Amino acid sequence: MAEEKSKVIDNRPGWIASINPWVLRVVNNPERVAFVLHRVTGILMALIIMAHIFVTGTPAHTGWEAWVEEINKAQGFSLVTLYFFFFAGIAWFHGLNGIRLLLVEFFGVCIGKPEKPKPPYIAPSLKACQRKLLYLVFLLWPILWAITGYIVFFK
Amino acid sequence: MVKKGTVQAIVQYITAILLIFLLTWHLVIRVPWLRGVETFKDTLSPNLVYHEINAYGVLLLVFAYAALLHGFNGLRGILLEWTSGKYKNLITIVIVILIVVFGALATYTVIGTPNPNP
Repeated sequence: MAEEKSKVIDNRPGWIASINPWVLRVVNNPERVAFVLHRVTGILMALIIMAHIFVTGTPAHTGWEAWVEEINKAQGFSLVTLYFFFFAGIAWFHGLNGIRLLLVEFFGVCIGKPEKPKPPYIAPSLKACQRKLLYLVFLLWPILWAITGYIVFFK
Repeated sequence: MVKKGTVQAIVQYITAILLIFLLTWHLVIRVPWLRGVETFKDTLSPNLVYHEINAYGVLLLVFAYAALLHGFNGLRGILLEWTSGKYKNLITIVIVILIVVFGALATYTVIGTPNPNP
């Protein structure tokens, strides 16, 4: 039993570490902020996807009348438009940062070349263009979210 | 030998690549001026929605399954990390059930949506 227990490594910082960008006390660490935001938006997306699949099935489950009734609320500031707005905001960040992660992790783009460690021991990946991609994500996210807000609330 | 963790990561990456294109398409078809209608609300009108389901049903299903696989596979990874793998089997079973149930719901939506103008 004791042997079995020793196989499990405790998650000592706990789940709160997943939503705390400063759990590692490192300055100038926007990658950690992006990690936390990606994780939080990912969890929210997984939950919203279930609601979205259920709601978009309304015409098949209860008919078009119920759908039209809901869609009539999709103008101005209502619960329906707020739902679309927040869902889009979450999706924009997760998608944009996901593209960055695919480029960096899957395709190995923008991570710099290995070099001999020398003071001040800054990893090449932290100096490579993945950092610029990250700033681009933080720049594009509010712009695209604002455009979505304009379409959802004012069009 | 391929390890299970690697398979999980590959599933995440492949579905992510699919989702970039499918989610962009899914959002773009809600832009009023690209659909030739006046408002966002109009892009959700029964005729347009039924046309989308009828014409792009397979694409919508690929989108739904890719989103479910990506989302729940990611959620499984997070839950396993939070619990240090203690409830691996339980978490995997719940995640598989959720994928099957919501996959079935999405399939029924594509197949069972009636014509608004019969």
